[in-house]
Amino acid sequence: MKFSRIRWVQPIYVKEVDLKLKIGVLVKQVPDHEAIVQVKSEQEVDIEDRYVCSFFDEIAIEMALNIQKNHPGTELFALSAGGNKAVDALRRAIAMGIDEVEHLGDESLKAADSNYTAQILAARLKTRQPDLVICGKQAGDDDFAAVGPMVAELLGIPHASAVVSLDIDPDTGKIKIGREVEGEIWHLESGIPLLVTAEKGLAEPHVPMVTRVMKAMKAKIPNIPIDELDLQDHKPQGRLRRIRYDAPPSRPAVTMMQQPFPQNVSELVNYLQQKGVL
Amino acid sequence: MNCNEIWVIAETRKGQLTRSTCQLLGAARKLADQKDLGAAAILIGGEQVHADELAQKSPLVLWLKGPRLEPYEAMRHLHAIWQLIEFRGRPAAILAGASAAGLEFMPRLAMRCGSGYASSCIDIWWEKTELTARRPLYGGRAYEELALLTKPALVTVRAGAFSIPENLSVSGKAETISIDLPENVGLTLVERKSTTSGKKDLSEAVCVVAGGRGMGSPENFKLLEELADVLDAAVGVSRAVVDAGWMHHDQQVGKSGKTISPELYIACGISGAIHHVLGMNTSKVVVAINKDPNALIFENADYGVVGDILEVIPILTNALKSCKK
Repeated sequence: MKFSRIRWVQPIYVKEVDLKLKIGVLVKQVPDHEAIVQVKSEQEVDIEDRYVCSFFDEIAIEMALNIQKNHPGTELFALSAGGNKAVDALRRAIAMGIDEVEHLGDESLKAADSNYTAQILAARLKTRQPDLVICGKQAGDDDFAAVGPMVAELLGIPHASAVVSLDIDPDTGKIKIGREVEGEIWHLESGIPLLVTAEKGLAEPHVPMVTRVMKAMKAKIPNIPIDELDLQDHKPQGRLRRIRYDAPPSRPAVTMMQQPFPQNVSELVNYLQQKGVL
Repeated sequence: MNCNEIWVIAETRKGQLTRSTCQLLGAARKLADQKDLGAAAILIGGEQVHADELAQKSPLVLWLKGPRLEPYEAMRHLHAIWQLIEFRGRPAAILAGASAAGLEFMPRLAMRCGSGYASSCIDIWWEKTELTARRPLYGGRAYEELALLTKPALVTVRAGAFSIPENLSVSGKAETISIDLPENVGLTLVERKSTTSGKKDLSEAVCVVAGGRGMGSPENFKLLEELADVLDAAVGVSRAVVDAGWMHHDQQVGKSGKTISPELYIACGISGAIHHVLGMNTSKVVVAINKDPNALIFENADYGVVGDILEVIPILTNALKSCKK
């Protein structure tokens, strides 16, 4: 069977279409968006111990599960590269319905930049050879939105960021994607393999069943150490250096309009004129 | 091979250079001057009119021309820029707007170059010899300052982070470079569908008027659109409005929507929950209108009006209309 394949840069693995789709989902454990974050000093940030699987990664998990529902027999697996907390993101993946998960690396990865994290994930994906890789658009801690595209580059495969719709035909290996661009949706076509980063709207994460949550809690999560991965580049750092942290700028206390509308609308208009925003 | 330049990857939307591009051209020139570097605008595909406009804003325009360079696609953009780097050398830095396209292809380019990459930054400057960028973390609950240690240093910059300098005009020259792009690279674009029916783009707008569930119904958003017209503003919405199916996600302001930094943000009937606030709290001036005096939004506003938005907004719109005259 024919499928579209990138020819000028060979993907580092070649896929033939067979009837069983394989999808890899990349997940990350991050602070909850309501966790209290305090900048203690230029070198230290205090984060309340409330961690969850990143919002967009859950959408990625759900999308993979939806594809499996539509195409029974689809193989799913989830990977997380990171320190010990990464295991919790994988438990979430299990709870939501992905049975096969792997934790890559160790605590040293907490200090890794996006480039190195992408190296780790790509090395494992090269061995697993999925048809489709789905990850969240950006992670709820650093909001970098870099690992997905970097993994695609390492694998030599095309990718689309901020995908809001995806339709795959396993018989032809053709994938239809909708991507959110300012004020528009771009409808694109791809063959396999492909990587997409999930945007809100791609899928609606469901609340896991209690039985699966319990299964996830008891599951033994396999770990693959870094030295068992065939990395192209062994430099965990050296590209970026964090100089300092800083607290977000605070706004002075609000000025409330003294008297009700409509009498004093001019007060507001004057205020806006003074601030130079009109 | 190195080339002593700072490049800005130009972006067009609806046939025009984006405001982000113009902002970055100013920033790049300033950064380049500080270290005796050249500054160049990189145009990939595009028309003569774009090259001409860029030449008025940048001392040098490198116009990449060739088949299949348009429409934009991540791998094709990457291939074109990489060919330029192989031809001309590694620049000191490459800047792009943190738009849908920038956020998509710049990390790929960073991996290709083995470069440090800082995304969605709100400021860039030199600290001694290192290009340094400031960016939000944890959705804006903290900020970090990162030094970029590689050549090129890659940065995507949020719209509105830099203002367009007044003295941007220059008589630059354009150089054409032929790019040989093979067939079958990247994804195929089948169709582009507009979602906001030609309304103003949220990320680039100088002024934004936003509505939440407090607007009551989707029909009431007409009032916001009239206010937005007078202010030449874009219309944003809160997550609650998107979840209720009233408006499209691409107008959503907030953690799972867009993070924006307009000069003026008017929040109407928005409660001010943290996930929304993190999407707009870098706005220069925030005005909040809500009927609940204890609404959280007032803690993140400069100016507050307690009242019924359905009354307040039309009055404000009329006052601004007469003010314009």
